[in-house]
Amino acid sequence: MMAGILWLLLAVMGGLAVLPLFASGYIISFTIQIFMWIALAGSWNLISGFTGYVSFGHVAFFGVGAYTGALLVTQAGWHWLPASLAGCVPAAALALLIGYPCLRLKGPYFAIAMLGLNEVVRALVSYFESFTGGGSGISLPPILSIAPVYYAMGGAAVAVTLLTYRIITSRFGLRLLSIREDEIAAETMGINTSLMKLYAFLLSALFPGIVGGLYAWYSSYIEPLGVFPLLTTITMIIMCLFGGKGTVLGPVLGAVLLSVFQELVWARFLFVHQAIFGALIVAVVLLMPRGIMGVLQERYRLPRTV
Amino acid sequence: MMQVQITGTMVLQIVVSGLLAGGLYALVALGLSLIFGVMRVINLAHGALLMLGAYTTYWLFALFGLNPFLSLLVSVPMLFVVGAVLQKLFVHRVVEAPELSSLLLTFGISIFIANVAMLAWSSDYRSVEFLTGSFILGQIAVSKPRLISFVAALGLTGLAFLLLHRTKIGKAIRATSQHRDVAQICGINVRRIDVITFGLGAGLAGAGGSLVSTMFAVYPEMGLIYVFKSFLVIALGGAGNYPGAFFGGLLLGLVEGLASLFLTAQLSEVIAYIFLVIVLLVRPAGLLGGRT
Repeated sequence: MMAGILWLLLAVMGGLAVLPLFASGYIISFTIQIFMWIALAGSWNLISGFTGYVSFGHVAFFGVGAYTGALLVTQAGWHWLPASLAGCVPAAALALLIGYPCLRLKGPYFAIAMLGLNEVVRALVSYFESFTGGGSGISLPPILSIAPVYYAMGGAAVAVTLLTYRIITSRFGLRLLSIREDEIAAETMGINTSLMKLYAFLLSALFPGIVGGLYAWYSSYIEPLGVFPLLTTITMIIMCLFGGKGTVLGPVLGAVLLSVFQELVWARFLFVHQAIFGALIVAVVLLMPRGIMGVLQERYRLPRTV
Repeated sequence: MMQVQITGTMVLQIVVSGLLAGGLYALVALGLSLIFGVMRVINLAHGALLMLGAYTTYWLFALFGLNPFLSLLVSVPMLFVVGAVLQKLFVHRVVEAPELSSLLLTFGISIFIANVAMLAWSSDYRSVEFLTGSFILGQIAVSKPRLISFVAALGLTGLAFLLLHRTKIGKAIRATSQHRDVAQICGINVRRIDVITFGLGAGLAGAGGSLVSTMFAVYPEMGLIYVFKSFLVIALGGAGNYPGAFFGGLLLGLVEGLASLFLTAQLSEVIAYIFLVIVLLVRPAGLLGGRT
């Protein structure tokens, strides 16, 4: 079974690697979006899926990454790839700043602090107008070829998924899961829970920062409302939950399925689509708390490291 | 930035308006605190319920010209029912579950309500233009809706305290929040208390919404910031410490007012946020202490 899954994954990845050679621009942009959501949902999974500490403001890391990338390209004249990679630095710094005080505490403090974080960062970006362009945003040079972004975003999606696999098969991953199941017991077993949570949070902030930088380059224009929308966090959460939190392939599955649904059905009705997301979160929490992967793991006796 | 001479009168003015806003925060936060105390559930839909209260007042005013303060008599019972139904249908299933479930569940409910409101009423900003102008007291101007809302908020908070301390239901609510299992052994139907508490919390949010609508714009996503502010108030006062929530509310109003005076109103939410992080860093149990 494991070998089958592995072969399937390799085949899909091989297909995706040669996709830009023949596919239409529309298919390529759509795939880039899916890659982005895989990376984002997978990152959210690292903190919330593994430790059970819910981050309601993950889009803040995406946003600061986007602004860092855009500023490095336009102000410092960097190449887009290192500029995007540099997006992980402020994202990690922000995660440290918020994570250190809030993750030491048990209970909902972290969730609420993250709920406010996005609004705060957006207010700051809008306020420091001379630096960030304020509400009028930043324009980047138009991109000439879409293929490099495709591979970069694909690389981010693969990297997050591999990182998740690496974590789930490590002692670190077990420690995180033990925090989710029973934090006090984990502490009694000698696990430094605050530190483990902080590590997981830092890891989960890195890729949204990078992906944000790539997004800025790819879309050629960013502004505060565009890169800090609550909807992005909601989408990450629902993709990860729907696919299966705390699993390797869950966020991938959730990102692919919901992106396709979204593209086919809901994109035309923006508000309906948000309301559906809200209802879907309620439904998944109550009816399918372990997500699709959880159900599959149970039914087909798959190992938990899938 | 424009430099303005800061005078004693200005500071006094800000302190007064800050405290007036704080009374309202305290009212909304009390609802959140009650629910959290009894069920250990942070109700992220609290802001959406507040928004429903605000729209109730807006529509009663716009369609029938009903006095916004009288519309409390409609919005509070209505939101009580909405809250009780939410508890009966959804929230009761996650009371015993890990925190992740209740946070995500109430978050989903909140998004659903806000977006249905947007579909039904559009995302236009609306306002209840009922009372305008100010009372002049010496050198200080106190806006009429703010003052009346503050008095109403104090009155409602007082009523809630009376209910909690002087009635049998209130005693049962406090007992359940002290120890769920023991309360149950003592013959309290904790399921029923949960429903009543959620209804009460929602009713207080609705009351907050009705009062907010007399001062600020009403729109579907207005609620989110109040969830955050209410939680900040609870964190200041200490979780489960109901009088603490009251003083926490006043303190938050004061800090925001002073921040807008000395820095800029645009960043007052940022200041409130930094304030929260510092409090969590220094006094995780809240400034006034409380159970965690």
